[in-house]
Amino acid sequence: MSASLGAVGVAFRRRGVPATVIVCLVVLAAAFLAVVLGPVLFPEATKQDILSSLMPAGSPGHPLGTDELGRDILALTVAGAASALVGPVCVAVGSMLLGILLGTLAGYERGPLDFVISRWTDLLLALPVLLAAIVVSGVFGGGYWTTVALLVLLFSPSDIRIVRAGVLEQSARPYIEAAQMLSLSRWRVMFRHILPNVSSLVITNAMLNVAFALVAFSSLSFLGVGVPPGTADWGRQLTDSRAIMFDNPAAVIVPAVLIIAVACAVNLVGDWLGQRLTRSGGLA
Amino acid sequence: MTGIDVALDGIEGPAGRMVEPLSFEIAPAASLALIGESGSGKTLTAKSLVGLLPPGFRAAGTLRVDGREHRLDQADASWRAVRGREVSLLLQDPFTSLSPVHRCGPQIAWTLEAKAGRRLPARELDTEVARRLDEVNLPARVARAHPHELSGGMRQRVAIAAALASDPRLLIADEPTTALDASNQAELLDLLRELQHERGMAMLLISHDLGLVRGRTDEVLVMRHGEVVERGATARVLSAPEHQYTKALIAADPALALDAPVHAEASVLAEAAGRAEASGLAEAAGAAPLVRATGVVKRFGERTVLGGVDLEIAAGEIVGIVGESGSGKSTLARCIAGLEREDGGTIAFDGAVLTPGRRSRTPGQMQIVFQDPYSSLNPMMTIGQILREALAVGGRAPSEVAELLQTVGLPADAAGKRPAQLSGGQRQRVAIARALAPRPRLLICDESVSALDVQVQAQILDLLGRLREELGVAILFISHDLAVVRRIADTVTVVWQGRVVERGPCARVLDAPVEEYTKLLVAAAHRDRTLSHDPSTDGRTIPA
Repeated sequence: MSASLGAVGVAFRRRGVPATVIVCLVVLAAAFLAVVLGPVLFPEATKQDILSSLMPAGSPGHPLGTDELGRDILALTVAGAASALVGPVCVAVGSMLLGILLGTLAGYERGPLDFVISRWTDLLLALPVLLAAIVVSGVFGGGYWTTVALLVLLFSPSDIRIVRAGVLEQSARPYIEAAQMLSLSRWRVMFRHILPNVSSLVITNAMLNVAFALVAFSSLSFLGVGVPPGTADWGRQLTDSRAIMFDNPAAVIVPAVLIIAVACAVNLVGDWLGQRLTRSGGLA
Repeated sequence: MTGIDVALDGIEGPAGRMVEPLSFEIAPAASLALIGESGSGKTLTAKSLVGLLPPGFRAAGTLRVDGREHRLDQADASWRAVRGREVSLLLQDPFTSLSPVHRCGPQIAWTLEAKAGRRLPARELDTEVARRLDEVNLPARVARAHPHELSGGMRQRVAIAAALASDPRLLIADEPTTALDASNQAELLDLLRELQHERGMAMLLISHDLGLVRGRTDEVLVMRHGEVVERGATARVLSAPEHQYTKALIAADPALALDAPVHAEASVLAEAAGRAEASGLAEAAGAAPLVRATGVVKRFGERTVLGGVDLEIAAGEIVGIVGESGSGKSTLARCIAGLEREDGGTIAFDGAVLTPGRRSRTPGQMQIVFQDPYSSLNPMMTIGQILREALAVGGRAPSEVAELLQTVGLPADAAGKRPAQLSGGQRQRVAIARALAPRPRLLICDESVSALDVQVQAQILDLLGRLREELGVAILFISHDLAVVRRIADTVTVVWQGRVVERGPCARVLDAPVEEYTKLLVAAAHRDRTLSHDPSTDGRTIPA
């Protein structure tokens, strides 16, 4: 096991992966494990046990202590990873797909279609993300997947604009004119020729969006409109544990630090990936 | 001790040694040309003298400027004092060396202030910038223009003014005229010469083009694979080359053979000329030409780029279109190809009139080979994928990739590579193979060899001539380079400001031009690249 890990490390170093990025990748791998294994390891994380409420960190059986409802902080945090991370990843992927479709159409077709799509993104960009999310949750009753759908919509303008700009730049290149000389269909030109050449932009932006969405989700949960009370979720933990900040600081600090760590890690990996993709001129 | 003295101990790159030890001296006001193909190490050598080697490359040795010694392996910070003050670098493409978001004036002013080491009063600065612009024969109003508002020649003049603003002792000019057309090239090089003499500044001219340096530099170093293969006085090297490689370079340069009879050295092409005559006869017998463009008009906004142009291309004929940049020659080709929509006139293919745009055209009618082999291939696709796609369009089997590669002189294993793994010449061959895949009846070559080294240029020209012979494809060959057109075309059409000035058989138009403009163009081509065959009688050569 350690030998194979060593080999991976060597391979990474040989490809010039900086130490910071390796640390970030480890953080992300741990977060991923928590998402997958959390429900298995701690199926009863949200179970309340009033007898053991408000135990400080380091108590026997509760290394990170408990909150005022007697829920184990370690279990709650690991189990909360899924709720805190799956949503943001879905938001990033969803808005990326929306961005690829609308951005490519706008950038390649130009004309009225471009006008409509561009004004639509202007409109969405003018809306403050959190405020819009709070209003919509208030009106439609909120819920986790409603929030995901809403954030996909609100995050998509940046993807659409970035893809559109990349497609505009690529469209002027001779290889696109060469494809037109072969009378290839517009869909083939857009998605077979242009899209792979803007993929580095798209992927980098999606990584950055994961970080933004993570913070947005936590903020919404903190404000009480993201996930329902009683759910294991990092943002929810922050709200619920504010009152016991001085009885068991770990209840607030641990999820807060994790939110920051994962957001930073995704950001840094995204930056690095972007540089690599740009430098190598593509994914190959 | 004055002048420049370079002792390079070699340049090491990630793949081993790139440039062998070499040394040279340049006296004040003298000039040295460094000649070689791409990959010969000439640009690396130039970059090592300003500390701008790409990451992973290291140079060792010394550079002496008027006796002051600089080590070539010093850190970047110490280079700043050398760069600009003692040595300036002039790059090939003024579009990339000038900042696109700043006006031209400030770009010259920055260097002036950097040299003075303090902020200068605005009025003083304006006067000095105007003086510097005047030096390169530009009006003072250029200071307020953005680079994109200027023509290529004017941009390069601004770049020269900016490079000289620090009054360097050595100017390194890396292919300074490659991006310009013939008449601009000549003017610019003469301007550099003048400036050099006024300032007593040494110049290192990097070029792939031996013809270009004739009469314009004192000495020549010919490099190949990182080694100097020949050196000596320019006149001697050009008239009596000793090394086999130098001889090959001179032989491959169409410009140096500009005075030779048309097609004389290529029997294949001589045959081709005969065939053109045959096709001319066919036309006389009543057959419609392959392409007939009548009164084609194209406007971009207010500007009329094509003012009613007629053109005919017979089947199997090679028609050359020459003209300066901005003459409308590319626009005409793009209208024929359907990539631009003409505003007036008709374009007929095989007797049938085509409506403007791509929709009315099929891939089997015509294909284009573009100028820049670096951007005309999709960087994310392998050569095999690119060619299979084009074959499918022509209804041909994917298995024909190997045959197609062979036709354009590429090995079969090229199919697995991506464009980035190929050289410029190889990429242009792929672009030609792609264009041939749907079996087009007309191949449009829009400056297709302009971005290539002379030797590669010669190979591609031979290839095109051969393809016409074997496949009977007609070629519309667009170029600003008369020498190249002369080497391949049967008939030539001269375009100026969107109008046809003169047309006729290649030899007649280029050897005995009738129109004033054509005469100017031919004269510029001669002055630019082949001043005369005996440089010693050339008045422009520098007095010792």
